[in-house]
Amino acid sequence: MTAAPGQPARSVLACGEVRTCLLPSVQALDARAAAQLLRLRNDEHVRVSERPSMYALSPEILTGVDCRLPASNGTKVRGVGTVAARAVLTEGRLLQSTAYFSLPATGPDIRRPWGQYLVRPGLVEPFGKLPQQATAEGVLRGAGRGELDLGMISEGLLAQLRRHALLDRRVPFKSSPTRLRWVARRIPAGERASLANFTVAEGGLRTMELRLPEDVPASAAAGLCEDLALHDWLLTTVQHMLDNSRIGAIDGPSVVEALHPVVVHLLHLWMPRAHVDPALAHLWDVLEVKPGFSRQWENLSRRIRDRLALQAVAMPQQALSTS
Amino acid sequence: MTDTAFRETTAEPVTKSVPLAHLSLELGHLYMEDFEAGPKRLGEHFAEVRVWADAVRASAARRSKRPRISTCFLIDDYFTRFSTPAELIPMILKEAEKAGLVIDYLARESSCAVADRIELAESVMHRLVESPPPGSYGSRPPVSQTGWLANGQRTPSTSRSALGAVKGWEPPQETAARNHSVFMDVELWSEKDGKRLWSCPFLAAVWQLARLGLLRHLGEPVLVPKDWEGEDFPHDWDRLPPLTRLSDTKAAFSAYRTCTLMPNRFLAVEDAVRLILDQTDVDAGALQQVAERSAAERMPVPAAVAQRATYVFYEEPGDSSEAEET
Amino acid sequence: MLIFAASDKGGTGRSVTSANLAYHRALAGDDVCYLDFDFGSPTAAAVFDVADAREETEDRGLHAYLIGEVSEPARIDVWADTEHQVLRFPPPGCGRLVLMPGDVSGGEFATSDDNLRRCVDLLMTLYYEFDLVVVDLSAGRSYAVDMVLEATAQPEMRDVTARWLVFHRWTRQHVAAAASLVFGRRGIVAGGVDRGHDEAALRNAIRFVRAAVPDPESSLWSQVSPTQSAWMRKTDGDLKQLASTHGIGYSQVLGSVPLEPVLQWREQLITDEDVLDSQIANEATWQALSQLAVRLTDDKYWEEA
Repeated sequence: MTAAPGQPARSVLACGEVRTCLLPSVQALDARAAAQLLRLRNDEHVRVSERPSMYALSPEILTGVDCRLPASNGTKVRGVGTVAARAVLTEGRLLQSTAYFSLPATGPDIRRPWGQYLVRPGLVEPFGKLPQQATAEGVLRGAGRGELDLGMISEGLLAQLRRHALLDRRVPFKSSPTRLRWVARRIPAGERASLANFTVAEGGLRTMELRLPEDVPASAAAGLCEDLALHDWLLTTVQHMLDNSRIGAIDGPSVVEALHPVVVHLLHLWMPRAHVDPALAHLWDVLEVKPGFSRQWENLSRRIRDRLALQAVAMPQQALSTS
Repeated sequence: MTDTAFRETTAEPVTKSVPLAHLSLELGHLYMEDFEAGPKRLGEHFAEVRVWADAVRASAARRSKRPRISTCFLIDDYFTRFSTPAELIPMILKEAEKAGLVIDYLARESSCAVADRIELAESVMHRLVESPPPGSYGSRPPVSQTGWLANGQRTPSTSRSALGAVKGWEPPQETAARNHSVFMDVELWSEKDGKRLWSCPFLAAVWQLARLGLLRHLGEPVLVPKDWEGEDFPHDWDRLPPLTRLSDTKAAFSAYRTCTLMPNRFLAVEDAVRLILDQTDVDAGALQQVAERSAAERMPVPAAVAQRATYVFYEEPGDSSEAEET
Repeated sequence: MLIFAASDKGGTGRSVTSANLAYHRALAGDDVCYLDFDFGSPTAAAVFDVADAREETEDRGLHAYLIGEVSEPARIDVWADTEHQVLRFPPPGCGRLVLMPGDVSGGEFATSDDNLRRCVDLLMTLYYEFDLVVVDLSAGRSYAVDMVLEATAQPEMRDVTARWLVFHRWTRQHVAAAASLVFGRRGIVAGGVDRGHDEAALRNAIRFVRAAVPDPESSLWSQVSPTQSAWMRKTDGDLKQLASTHGIGYSQVLGSVPLEPVLQWREQLITDEDVLDSQIANEATWQALSQLAVRLTDDKYWEEA
């Protein structure tokens, strides 16, 4: 049977989706402004950390759901509970929102009074037995019509923040948001967390599977995924800017103009693991070996610096020849 | 991230705890009409309340040999302002004493809206999480836009699709209905001249959360009781603290549970309060502190917050409106 | 920048021309997104040759997004998903070309606060992402037109550059209808002002595109009789006069697209292959589209008349 009301139900699966985008503001926000932006609740603190990089984390807000759980094989299992959502701002420049929830292996066959769900925030209970595999695959594939939609919740929060009166709604350069969907299967407490896979798909979609010890909260997994999503966004965005013809083919001052925003707004953002729970920080190592996130970033940064250096060398000559 | 030497306080906020009694017993709630009916009427109230207060104490004694019970009394200074503390409070205390009751804490209703410059009602509003009707897959119902909170799905507004016919009336549906619905829709506030007026049930829900020790502002306790040092009570309600301790009780204002004694005309209001509490996502830190400490004292609280509040609705003493007509 | 493509009536080649403009800009290196807001009869999937990808997106298009059924509208990457032989191999250095299709089953709908909110969110999101966003609106003074007028009047969109292209055919009735769509009592300008737009600014953000214009000097007509030729020149002149009287004269025109069988009959993107190799399309059409595409963002053509 299920846990009695009030007892924390043991979850077997945690799922989430992170959206990452550039903050629509010409200036990066300072710590005070960041705290103001992320103050989703009047009475709760925004966590602000300024070392080793500026990182602000909003309080969590809840969305009530009562619908089918995503399922890859068409199984129809109803789930009721709350999905937690939170937002992160890194260096006052990159905005992320995560929606996530945990699932226990089984739940009651009737809906409880709502207040009982609210005291277990971020938990969605299945009616009956949870089809773990199908649900995990369903979450990674994305919600079908009428299924619990993490994307809708995280996008809703992101849209709300981007409308904030504090922002001037001007981006220093154009860029695409990315989404990272993740599932974490629970393993016994004390075992070591591991990364099963990280997949880069089309259209800015990334998926990730983890194994997460029971004593590590789902919010820590959300934090790790935010960190990975942020660095993946940096790689994706800078790569796209370099691929663009107007940087590849052109020369002259317009190269400086095109690469300027990368140097000013992005190069200093690379700081893997800066705000990741120590119990999960080692998961980065896997991606550092293959494909080598930091290696790729160093390469991209070097290309940018080289282009700018070449330009700086070329400029005086041009100046001479045209005079 | 606690195993490191480096710390940033802004990165690790904490929720302070508050002292907690076993039971917060409310002895009454005074509105202008009660005051206008005179001290005699108030005395009759207290005489009736005394009987039930004894019953509540007897009930609490079943849970604990030495129950910590604090009593409180609420005066409306939000919807209507009448009399002055200097005039009113001694009168209330005198009538209570006559009935053998002691009022430990006295609160002003306006402090459920704003206390010590903290907008409590506003904060609680941001914590409303609507109970999702079946079929809710992630679109967030905007409570803060409508100002109403229901226990189910409303009758659809008579919307016409471009070509579709006008549909007939459809009934509302209570989400947790058993066979049949008891649908309720509660107005949380109204706006007048750009000013927000919180509804009586919404302020009463804030009041319940305060009594249950579940309110915090940026981790700090709110509505902290102050002793009244002066000789006479002030002539202006604004000069009275939001929550005043009137006795030398050791029992804290907030408690694991609440019991409210009130005339049965308030039944609808309090039902609305339960509806609001059932859809409020209270401070997780505070919730955990109450759960742990009540469990340690072997009187664990019900998981759902609304279940921690009980009531006695008594018959109003001597219905004066009928009496006056004769 | 946002470009809204409107037209007085159907059959002006609005969708196919605006799709070609999007294509030209993507070739030039811009990241471009094309939105099919023609809810009554979405055609963009056919123009971009992405029928299969369209099937897959089923009912997750713009219509489903705006009424709140899906969290975001489906996106089709044209380069990756097109069945068109030439489009599938875009030249290196070109920008992204993304299509957001309408829904097959979606009809028109009234603007509510919620779908207005979603419309603003979508336009802002795309504005942050793409160099150019082309929104194809259904013909006439439709709900789609009302919605984007309302959306662009919202304070959060105040600083977003939005320009309007009004497509019309080169006939007396179309000239009058296009003028009325923009300047009439229930026209775009009046509707915009009702919603809080600044009249002068809105007027200045609207330019006309004359579509399917027969050029009397074209070699196509080299065989016609002198009488016919004279008549054509006269009529063309009369139409210019008429357009000018209606306030949509030369200074208000961003460009003209010549009468082009490929656009009229097949509604497709015209590639350089069509012009150079198979020669089914006219060089003049390619030139006209190319010129229009450049003028979209050339402020010189959008200065106050």
